[in-house]
Amino acid sequence: MNSLRDLDHRRWLVTGGVVLVVLAVAALLILFAGADPLVGLRGLVDGISSSPYRVGELLVGAVPIAIVALTLIPALRAGIFSVGAEGQIIFGAILATGTTLWLATVAGPDLPGPVFWIAGALAGIVGGSLFALLPALLAVRWQVNEILSTLLLNYVAAGFLGWSLRTWLASPEETATPQSEQLPEAAALPTMIAGTRAHWGIALVLLIAIGFILWRRSAGWTRVSVFSSRPKLALRLGATRAGTIYSTMLVSGAGAGLVGWVQVAGVNERLFSSVTGGVGFSGLAVALLGGLLPVGIVAAALFFSALTAGAVGMQSATGTVPSSIAEVIKGVLLLGVASVAAYQRRPAAVVAPSDAVVPVDEEPVPESSPRLHATLPHPPSDTHPHELQPADSGESSR
Amino acid sequence: MSAELWVAILAGAIALSAPLVLAGVGESFVERAGRINLGIEGMMILGAFAGVYVASTAGPWAGLLAGIATGLVLAALMNTVVHRLHANEVVVGLAITVLGLGLSTYLFQVWIPSGQTNVSVETVPRVPVPLLSDLPLLGRILFVQSPIVYATVLLAVAAWAVMRFTRFGLQIRAVGTDPVAAALRGVRTRAVGSNSLLLGGALAGLAGAVITVGTIGSFTPGITAGRGYIVLAIVIMGRSTPVGVALGALLFAFLQSFSLLAQSTGLQLPSEVYQTLPYVVTLIVLVLSSRARVRSVLRKASLA
Repeated sequence: MNSLRDLDHRRWLVTGGVVLVVLAVAALLILFAGADPLVGLRGLVDGISSSPYRVGELLVGAVPIAIVALTLIPALRAGIFSVGAEGQIIFGAILATGTTLWLATVAGPDLPGPVFWIAGALAGIVGGSLFALLPALLAVRWQVNEILSTLLLNYVAAGFLGWSLRTWLASPEETATPQSEQLPEAAALPTMIAGTRAHWGIALVLLIAIGFILWRRSAGWTRVSVFSSRPKLALRLGATRAGTIYSTMLVSGAGAGLVGWVQVAGVNERLFSSVTGGVGFSGLAVALLGGLLPVGIVAAALFFSALTAGAVGMQSATGTVPSSIAEVIKGVLLLGVASVAAYQRRPAAVVAPSDAVVPVDEEPVPESSPRLHATLPHPPSDTHPHELQPADSGESSR
Repeated sequence: MSAELWVAILAGAIALSAPLVLAGVGESFVERAGRINLGIEGMMILGAFAGVYVASTAGPWAGLLAGIATGLVLAALMNTVVHRLHANEVVVGLAITVLGLGLSTYLFQVWIPSGQTNVSVETVPRVPVPLLSDLPLLGRILFVQSPIVYATVLLAVAAWAVMRFTRFGLQIRAVGTDPVAAALRGVRTRAVGSNSLLLGGALAGLAGAVITVGTIGSFTPGITAGRGYIVLAIVIMGRSTPVGVALGALLFAFLQSFSLLAQSTGLQLPSEVYQTLPYVVTLIVLVLSSRARVRSVLRKASLA
């Protein structure tokens, strides 16, 4: 669907329109705060690129977002909308911190770095996956909607983190904010670019991205893609409902858990209650923004991180524009991308008529809600030949 | 735990449930029409901000109206993108939430730059119902509440009547059950879907304003704390009926009120247990109710 054939001018018109709307909204918001948009723009650029350190910060910010977004590819492609990255990051970070500190007390803090890294990364992955297992189990066994269960579990994870940082993980020193003990020096991820905080997590992102580029060419990708629109056909291809939900949600949980370790070992070297910093939700947005393509996701993650870093620059340049302007822009951007994605799908229906088949083979699955299946990049509903159906598909199965 | 404390907890629960019932009734219309509004959280928090902002100059009632207007605007935006541009409903809903959270924080920080003291507005005063408020215990729990609470009860009853007895209600149910058949019988499915979404948005915005103008009197970024998602869970648990929604809202609000007040009592549990309790119980009820649903479907299947 990304071939040149689909590039019709209307889509570019919509894309251009989205860019203009985003710029206009940004300018309006800056004017509303009583500042000059051009001064704001200069502050934004300075915030990203005025020094190598700033560029490093941009990369540091992009790493967790990119990992979350990349590992969400299978779940989103299967139409499983896991919004639990925040909680999974927290559990990964708790387990990684606990394991690293435990290793340091048992074996001494002078162990070689790689031992700490592998133990920490594995602990993070286990923590994140385990926390993703629960909503997957609920979805498989009782059709509990995964959007709601993962959202609710995020609050549970935040509560558990708060309790951990007050009790068994609490730093022995008296501190103003709840935090864990500092990790031993060897356990910290070394910096990759001197003079910045940019750590080796960047290499990890590239590895994961390459992994998903290869996976997109595999049979697994096809099964997952078919599952989102034709579960029965997917079953014949060897993808059961349970298997798909478990495997895709475990992958995203593992990725989020890994991020938990990366944030602790690479950035702060101790665990704070603000460990996620919203990267779980940003990761979801970036996965959609990048069109579930690994390269697109890495670019979108850099862009998101640049927005956040640039907004801080804008705040200090203008003095009156709060850096939360970045969040508004992200929302507008996500709205715009959803509209463009809808336009992207339209020519696809013409080019590939097989997509336009009415889903008659769907079995009536008992659901606890209207089906909340995310069906990017092309759900069956929008390629549906007639207009009678509302935009959300799946009602045919009720 | 004294009786005094229980009265306070229960009266607090009634007050806290009002915004959940308002947004939940709105969302039940949306879900009955076969759609879903994942932007509730964003609509609520922007409504909460707009409510305080307007109430600071024009009084609490104008603030509530501002909340409704804000919810309507966001719902109209969502409606345009979903219906006109055929964008994915789930993604657009989440985008609206991101937008609402971001915009409310941004506008609040422009209005009150960090370092300045937060603006506190006059809230809607409580009105004891004559005679009924003199009842022992029950009087102080149920009948010394804000007029918003009484209005919410009336609205829930009205919503039930609209869904049950009016053309609009019938059309919504028809569209939600079988859009193709409804369209063939002359129901304008798109208009019905849009109207229910606008209604849901207006009530979500109002619910946000009720949180700030109705009880707290001031806005802080992130003040809704995921209550928009709780509303979605409540509507699913309550099977999109006003009574079910009200029961779900009361359960969550009771736990919330309990967690706010029970920390001062003898139970020596960590404060985080109280804070996460409402979310845990909501999840458990969500599981139980969907399991029950599966069972009832199985029973029907075996009878057939």
